[in-house]
Amino acid sequence: MSTLLEQLANGMVLGGTIALIAIGYTMVYGIIQLINFAHGEVFMIGAYGALFAFMWWLPSGMKEDWYVTLPLLLVIGIGVAVGVAVLMERFAYRPLRNAPRLAPLITALGVSVFLQEFVRVFYRCPSPSGGEPSACATSAIGFPEAFVKGGVHVSIGQGFTIPYAGILIIVVSLGLAVALQMYVGRSRMGRAMRATSADPDTARLMGVNPDRTIVITFVIGGALAGVAGVLYGVRYTSVNIDMGFLNGIFAFTAAVLGGIGSIKGAVVGGFAIGLIKTLAGQYMPGGTGYDLVWIFIVLIVVLVFRPQGFFGETERVRA
Amino acid sequence: MSPLEFTTVVVAFAVYVWLVSQAGKQATDRTVFARPAAVAGGVLTIVAALLPWATFVLNDGPYPAKSTLQFFDAPFELGGFRAHLALFGIVALVFTFVRIPGRNRAIRGLGWGVGVISLVNVLFIAINGGGIGAVTAAEGSTAFAGFLGLIAGVLLVAAGSAGGIEPIPQWPTKLPTAVAFLVLLLSFAGLLWVVAETLTSGGLGGPSSPYAGPEFLSYLGFLVGLLGALYGIGLLRWISTLSEQHRVFSMIVLLLCAVALPFTDAGTDYWMTVAVNIGVYAATAIGLNIVVGLAGLLDIGYVAFLGIGAFVAAQLSGAASAKLAGPIGEVPFIIVLVICAVVAGIFGAIVGSPTLRVRGDYLAIVTLAFGEIFRKSAQENIGGLTGGANAVPNIPPISLFDQPFNEPISAGGVVLPSGVLYYFLIVLLIAVVMLVFANLKDSRIGRAWMAIREDEDAARAMGIKTGKAKILAFLVGATLAGMAGAVFAHKTSTVAYDSFQFLESVTLLAAVVLGGMGTIPGAVLGASLLFVLPEKLREFNEYRLMMFGLALVLIMRFRPQGLVPDRVRRAEFAGETATGESIEQVQEKAVVEHEQELAEAETGPGPAAPAGGGEGRARP
Repeated sequence: MSTLLEQLANGMVLGGTIALIAIGYTMVYGIIQLINFAHGEVFMIGAYGALFAFMWWLPSGMKEDWYVTLPLLLVIGIGVAVGVAVLMERFAYRPLRNAPRLAPLITALGVSVFLQEFVRVFYRCPSPSGGEPSACATSAIGFPEAFVKGGVHVSIGQGFTIPYAGILIIVVSLGLAVALQMYVGRSRMGRAMRATSADPDTARLMGVNPDRTIVITFVIGGALAGVAGVLYGVRYTSVNIDMGFLNGIFAFTAAVLGGIGSIKGAVVGGFAIGLIKTLAGQYMPGGTGYDLVWIFIVLIVVLVFRPQGFFGETERVRA
Repeated sequence: MSPLEFTTVVVAFAVYVWLVSQAGKQATDRTVFARPAAVAGGVLTIVAALLPWATFVLNDGPYPAKSTLQFFDAPFELGGFRAHLALFGIVALVFTFVRIPGRNRAIRGLGWGVGVISLVNVLFIAINGGGIGAVTAAEGSTAFAGFLGLIAGVLLVAAGSAGGIEPIPQWPTKLPTAVAFLVLLLSFAGLLWVVAETLTSGGLGGPSSPYAGPEFLSYLGFLVGLLGALYGIGLLRWISTLSEQHRVFSMIVLLLCAVALPFTDAGTDYWMTVAVNIGVYAATAIGLNIVVGLAGLLDIGYVAFLGIGAFVAAQLSGAASAKLAGPIGEVPFIIVLVICAVVAGIFGAIVGSPTLRVRGDYLAIVTLAFGEIFRKSAQENIGGLTGGANAVPNIPPISLFDQPFNEPISAGGVVLPSGVLYYFLIVLLIAVVMLVFANLKDSRIGRAWMAIREDEDAARAMGIKTGKAKILAFLVGATLAGMAGAVFAHKTSTVAYDSFQFLESVTLLAAVVLGGMGTIPGAVLGASLLFVLPEKLREFNEYRLMMFGLALVLIMRFRPQGLVPDRVRRAEFAGETATGESIEQVQEKAVVEHEQELAEAETGPGPAAPAGGGEGRARP
């Protein structure tokens, strides 16, 4: 019993992270029909950006107080992630706006490989002995636990602990999703986004600037990915350059599961994927080695039998 | 090479390329400057070739101490890249004074070649010689030849553009068969020479040859200039037209050339191994080309089929951990090949089955999911078949007629390196795969695939059974990959899951896209480039994947149709019609014709209006 509850809690925490990334996927896909493969790397680079600032710039006296460190990490993580997202929209995707569909997808693959390798090659850790900084992103790096340590102890059965950082992820992801839903639903910009998504040409005729709208979409997606990256680091206390690819695929699966283009769907899908991963790892044959396989099987089944997902409005025909 | 040096190199390349293209753009059609600039460029190139390129007085003392670099500093000794420069300079001068059709385009091509060669060498000397001082004048020793070369490149490109880029000249294509055959023979022999030279230029790197990478890059600069000039004067197009006219003959000669490669300088153990790897991936890339290039179904998990073929072959071999070979004994390779093909084909059909309901980007994700499921299952040693992290080791080499394939053989008194039999095998396999591809492409099913690629609903409306055709595309593609996998397993002798990761799928896709979708030479060329470049540019090994990612972005931005574009593909990506005219030209022609009609309707038949633009690059 307690194992099940513990895995449910773990799944919700992972799901919160995935949901934050999935929102970026779903919004970008909704507006320009591009599977932004590099979005997972934006998540990764947000975490690395924050970690870099923590290692190099933060005075050691401040590293102990989480209410100083965490907001700083978040701001820097968001800044780096948004910067990368905007740059890649401007220089990689915008020139291909009217190209055949294959071109931007392959570009996205290229951007993904490039960003991952960029971090691996150029990331530097300060040397503890004060020598030359070393290239350290080739393996996992420890991330500061910049939040209240410990967690809530649930004493059912053998008992287990839900870390405070995990609870933070769930709360933040739900809160941001609700705020974003309201922003897209009620603000002027949100209306412009929905209009561009529905019909870019007509939206342009109605006075919407599509380039600006698309950039704003990338900014929002990047910011959420940055938040997710920092919180992921805080919760799991280590980051590596592969984390973007796998979590990105999970997030895309979540976005499809929830119905592409729908923020609510992305959140529900994110939690569903998180739960599938932890529960399959616990209870399905093969254990954690095959948890990925189950997620992909779910993905294939959903794509084949219900491509519009949980909350997709109508079935889009993608040729 | 440190990240800083790498960044310097990349930025310098980007800046110089931008500068040269700007020079070309600014100079367009200013005919007054054309000849003087060409003369100046040509003379400067020759002067640059003759002057010393490096001075190390500024650095760690005079150059004998830095003897690794001395070959750059030997005035009046024309070897290596300096011979190339001298040649380009002379040819540019000849083109300036002799009215050869297409000379401006050729001069522009030469200019790019001169620029690239100079830039590579300047950067290499500057970085290894400890700064910009290594390439400038210092303490009585002058070495500004590098900068002369850079300027000469700009001048030549500007001169070519200023002269007005003319349409590529047409050469006579109705030749007596014997003459055509002779031309084809000569040109394929030239191709063989270029390939062997490219492979061996700069040596293999390592301590014995520390400047292998730059020498190779410099050689690539030479190729840029050479091919640019040959293309400009219409020679390349002429040869390709001739080879299309005599397709069977060209295929045979090409095959002979491939067989002749081990007899050239490139016939070493090392290059045979590389060539077999290239061959395996080229065969797989051709298979992928059926799925992506012909049927337009994006597959980003394709390497799984290669993996399935490899694991099946491993299990059927005499390896100690082979499970399947035990009860039935060792299986002859021919049968292994067939079994691998069948098993991979079955998996191909399974992976392809979602295409019945899933399209476009979503299909790409489904194939990615299948690829990852394969990789993860192989990693976890599913059913004890893949060995997991231990891999399947010690797969014995293929043995036919008591001749193990991994040993050197001697033919006609010439001892050929080990691995050459694998090379011949893979050449044979590729020849078969090409034959399959070419015949399929021109068959009913090939046309059905292309129709599906262009518009699936329209294809269905025309009576094509789209579901069947799409699954067949996956099946055939996977079959080819499975056969390549069988060779791969025996050649590498160890099959591990990490040879079949997502990145390998992306590399395969990149090979197809880089070469040009839907064409055979494209897939082979793309696979060769993606495997030869890393072998040659060891110094950049750290940055290989980064450059790979960047290259994908740049190709999609500037040349989405690939290096050897398919005619129909080119139409789709570059806004040209199948005959090579641009859409604007066609529209312009239509407008002119329409106006003519209107004029005739108003005034009755009058004198024909002068023909507007639109001759352009029309093919015969």
